[in-house]
Amino acid sequence: MTAYILNLLVLISVYAILSTTLNFIIGYAGIFSLAHAVFFGIGGYTAALVAMNVTPEFFVAIPIAMAAAAVTSLLLALPALRVRGEYFVAASLGLQVLAVTLFSEWKSFTGGLGGVIGIPAVELFGFPVYKPWQFLLMSLICLVIIIAITRTLVHTSFGRSLKAIRDSESAALASGKNITVIKTLSVVMSSALAAVAGALYAFYMSFINVESFMLDTSVLVMAMVIIGGTATILGPLLGAALLMLMPSALTYLTFLPQTEIGSIQQIVYGLAMVLLMIFRPGGIVSSHPGGGK
Amino acid sequence: MNEQLNTAQETVKPAPGSGFTGSTDDQDVLLEISNLSKNFGGLQAINDVSLNLRAGIVTTLVGPNGAGKTTLFNMITGHIQPSEGDVRWQGESVIGKAPWKTARVGIARTFQDLRLFTHMTVEENILTVMEPGSWLWQPGGKFRKNRRYEKVSRILERTGLADKRHTRALDLAYAERKFLSLARIMATDSRLWLLDEPASGLDPNSYNLFLQLLREEVREGITVCIIEHNLDIVVNISDRIAFLDQGKLLADGEPTTILNDPALAAIYFGER
Repeated sequence: MTAYILNLLVLISVYAILSTTLNFIIGYAGIFSLAHAVFFGIGGYTAALVAMNVTPEFFVAIPIAMAAAAVTSLLLALPALRVRGEYFVAASLGLQVLAVTLFSEWKSFTGGLGGVIGIPAVELFGFPVYKPWQFLLMSLICLVIIIAITRTLVHTSFGRSLKAIRDSESAALASGKNITVIKTLSVVMSSALAAVAGALYAFYMSFINVESFMLDTSVLVMAMVIIGGTATILGPLLGAALLMLMPSALTYLTFLPQTEIGSIQQIVYGLAMVLLMIFRPGGIVSSHPGGGK
Repeated sequence: MNEQLNTAQETVKPAPGSGFTGSTDDQDVLLEISNLSKNFGGLQAINDVSLNLRAGIVTTLVGPNGAGKTTLFNMITGHIQPSEGDVRWQGESVIGKAPWKTARVGIARTFQDLRLFTHMTVEENILTVMEPGSWLWQPGGKFRKNRRYEKVSRILERTGLADKRHTRALDLAYAERKFLSLARIMATDSRLWLLDEPASGLDPNSYNLFLQLLREEVREGITVCIIEHNLDIVVNISDRIAFLDQGKLLADGEPTTILNDPALAAIYFGER
């Protein structure tokens, strides 16, 4: 039972990193990305490759994974952010579809559909981290650092610029803000930090394949942000916890047909999103229930 | 309608304008608009407009709805690219520049629908326009940061928003939103302000505060161009009036000349 709970907590903290980093661009910059799982995947595959071929050292594998995700996000952001918001959604969807194909077919990097197996335990200054509680501690520390980084950023002039762009692009332009550069930077930072979650996930599972990095994951993370509450610190954490706990919670409802739990879960997600948009559009943790950010 | 016009005309002579005295023709040209045109498909929104905005005075753009006044602002600030013509700021063309670059040369604007940063506080709305840098932190360190906060306090005092410093723009009353729009432009250090209907819907007290603020700013060297439908404002603050109709500039001159022209009055009130 303890192992089960620890496993759940590790996964919640990994997804909390993903939802926090996605919230950085959705909540503060108004950029809706459907490609967050791509950067989760790039982080995972890159860290796995580094660990298997160079070193499983945390302070080597994680920065390389972040750099790989940052460069890839730049390829998406630079052309897509020159146009209006809805085009970025379409472009990110395109990248997600493209990435899934690449993850499935690029066997030398991703192991194809079979994935990458036998990823060694991550090491901290030469000491392997393999016990679940150690891993939980490490992922929680990463989560806290990432929350601190995003919180600091949104309270700087950069954060104010992001919020200004979110509220009115034309007024931000008229105020002298180079919105392309500001939005690109935010996407690059969000993607690089999402890669940390990917690397932790790869090390924790010691096996990854494309199944974890598909459109479903991007939609799930977006649901975590929206249900929890955009532009808040607690919202994405709560959203991640709720949506990760839901499948487990549903299995305790014995009157539900256990073979249909997956479908029921989708129905509950959908219903929760619809009800929230009607009654609490800012999300559960919104400080402005009327839809404020 | 003619009664309204007559009332306006009667107040033309004693009107104080921005406080500027002398001939506006003698003022230096800050912004030169030359043969500007804009087509939207088959619609000629602006048709060969040439107009000079002179330094240190208030120029008001008047004309009926659809005359092309806001389109002219959009072209000056780079939000819309013209089909033909040129806009020169202190002798240098700003056509083709991105709006953020035009803003940084010293041309600031407000919008008719305000476009405040609605989910940010009043303080953040003002502070962010003083932070044009795109990178993670602004240059100048703590000293410059303190200077920015001091400037925010001064602007809030002058615009009567001091007690709303930490209120979200969304939660302000209408007149307060108008003043926040003005406060935001005051923070930019721009030499030219393009104000799109800045006083519409203001109550008498707010209206007087607005006139007082504008006169103070013009006295300190700001050049203002206003789009306004309210004849009271046109008469009370303008040093110069440009009359647009159906995308054409019909007249440009001193208020007494323009407002006493019966042909323009007929167009303005739709009586032609």
